Amino acid sequence: MNAKTSQKIKKGGLLFIFLLLIYLSMITCEVKINILITGILNGLGFILKMFPPNINVISKMVYPALETIIIALLSTIFGVILSFFFALCGASNIVPSWLKATSRFLMAVERALPEIIFLLLLVSALGIGPFPGVVALSIGCVGMLGRLFADAMEEVNAKTMEAVASVGASKLQIVQYVVIPEILPSLIANSLFRLEMNIRLSVLLGAVGAGGIGYEINYYFGLLEYKKATTAFLMVLLLVFLTERLSDYLRKRIIKEGKLK
Amino acid sequence: MIEVNNITKSLPNGRQILKGISFKANKGDFIGILGPSGAGKTLTMRCLNGLTKPSSGQILIDVNGKHQDISNCNKKMMRQLRQKIGVVFQGFNLVKRLSVLENVMIGKLGQINTFRSLLYGFTDSEANAAIEALEKVKIPHLANRKAGSLSGGEMQRVAIARAIFQEPVILLADEPIANLDPSNAKKIMKQLRPLAEQMPIIGVFHQPEIASKYCTRIIAIKDGMVYYDGDSNISESLLAEIYGDELQEIEQANVQLNLSPV
Repeated sequence: MNAKTSQKIKKGGLLFIFLLLIYLSMITCEVKINILITGILNGLGFILKMFPPNINVISKMVYPALETIIIALLSTIFGVILSFFFALCGASNIVPSWLKATSRFLMAVERALPEIIFLLLLVSALGIGPFPGVVALSIGCVGMLGRLFADAMEEVNAKTMEAVASVGASKLQIVQYVVIPEILPSLIANSLFRLEMNIRLSVLLGAVGAGGIGYEINYYFGLLEYKKATTAFLMVLLLVFLTERLSDYLRKRIIKEGKLK
Repeated sequence: MIEVNNITKSLPNGRQILKGISFKANKGDFIGILGPSGAGKTLTMRCLNGLTKPSSGQILIDVNGKHQDISNCNKKMMRQLRQKIGVVFQGFNLVKRLSVLENVMIGKLGQINTFRSLLYGFTDSEANAAIEALEKVKIPHLANRKAGSLSGGEMQRVAIARAIFQEPVILLADEPIANLDPSNAKKIMKQLRPLAEQMPIIGVFHQPEIASKYCTRIIAIKDGMVYYDGDSNISESLLAEIYGDELQEIEQANVQLNLSPV
């Protein structure tokens, strides 16, 4: 047996093991091709049932849509404030290392938990409605925004901070006059990005009981009123599209200005 | 007035960098500190405004008739003393995203309460004084520009205006012209010199000719000790003694600087 044939056998063996693994995985997930094909056909029928959307309910959707926007806005504002404090406590150039470690640990725990878990806990404590949604989404900001803000703070020029400290400025004054102005572009850009995420998340949380347009989708699905649910879907699509365009536009302007320095 | 009494500084590994530095500076003194690299010039400067704590010795600063030791004081006293020490840095160290005027006003941050600065910042009369400081360095027209958009020479003038506005009793300048071209370097030296009438200026310089031309007094530090302290007219042979082998490099660098188009 020469080297070439032994290489061929090796390759073949690897391919066999790979295919075997895929097959075993498909069995675990109960993937059945025949069900997939009939499922697609059923799904097409289902989609036909959803069209045309029933636009008579559109007037009933305006308030829930507004509610979704307000939940997202409020929770982004509260979330940014909360994240800022966690970030201050998580920046090694501002606080002692034990506080940094604690704050970073809490943020990592928050990142590991999906927003929906907070909501389920909060709904049992605060009841159903937009309020637990706002609280859950505000907490949900901390893991991501807190981390991004803290990283931005750590990149602030140490010499500039030392120069302001050398005129006798206090820690808080250094934060106010050096840290905040220097990280402002990244603070605003990331907050806008989080606003987009919060709009999508508040639709999702709405379906689980936080009110807004997500609740409507869930409601009409429950009643098998698919044509009305489609109207709600289209509203969500419009909402997400508009916020993304707006925040894209604002972010581009801010980044442009940031580069002007 | 500032009085440095026999300060020493050792690194954690036991190596002694400063081996007993003493000098005194009064109003009217524009002191240029010279010395080869690694002699301890910048470390001395860091000790003077409390960024580094010396291992032993005293640094007495005269504030309102009382002599305070910045090398051995608590945090609160440190903040009070730093209000009285202006510092101009090699890298200018301005807050790039704030305006020139705001950068100048930062000079007085130590003198205003933290709550006040959080709530409403500076008063109109303070803003006017900051503009006056900018007039003294001849750049009042730049007041509303972002500090990050200025050239090096302009940034260093803002840093000097910040120090003037701060109204310190002593001005430290750590290699203030090292990042500037020769023409800007001379302008900065011309603006620093008259300030010595109000407060002693202590600067670290890499260019012996510029230092001896504009300073009123030269202190040379070599191997962590004061090697020379006296008149700013220092001879070639003394320079050679201070710098040793480095002198040739410095002269070459200066020749290159003068040849470069300005």
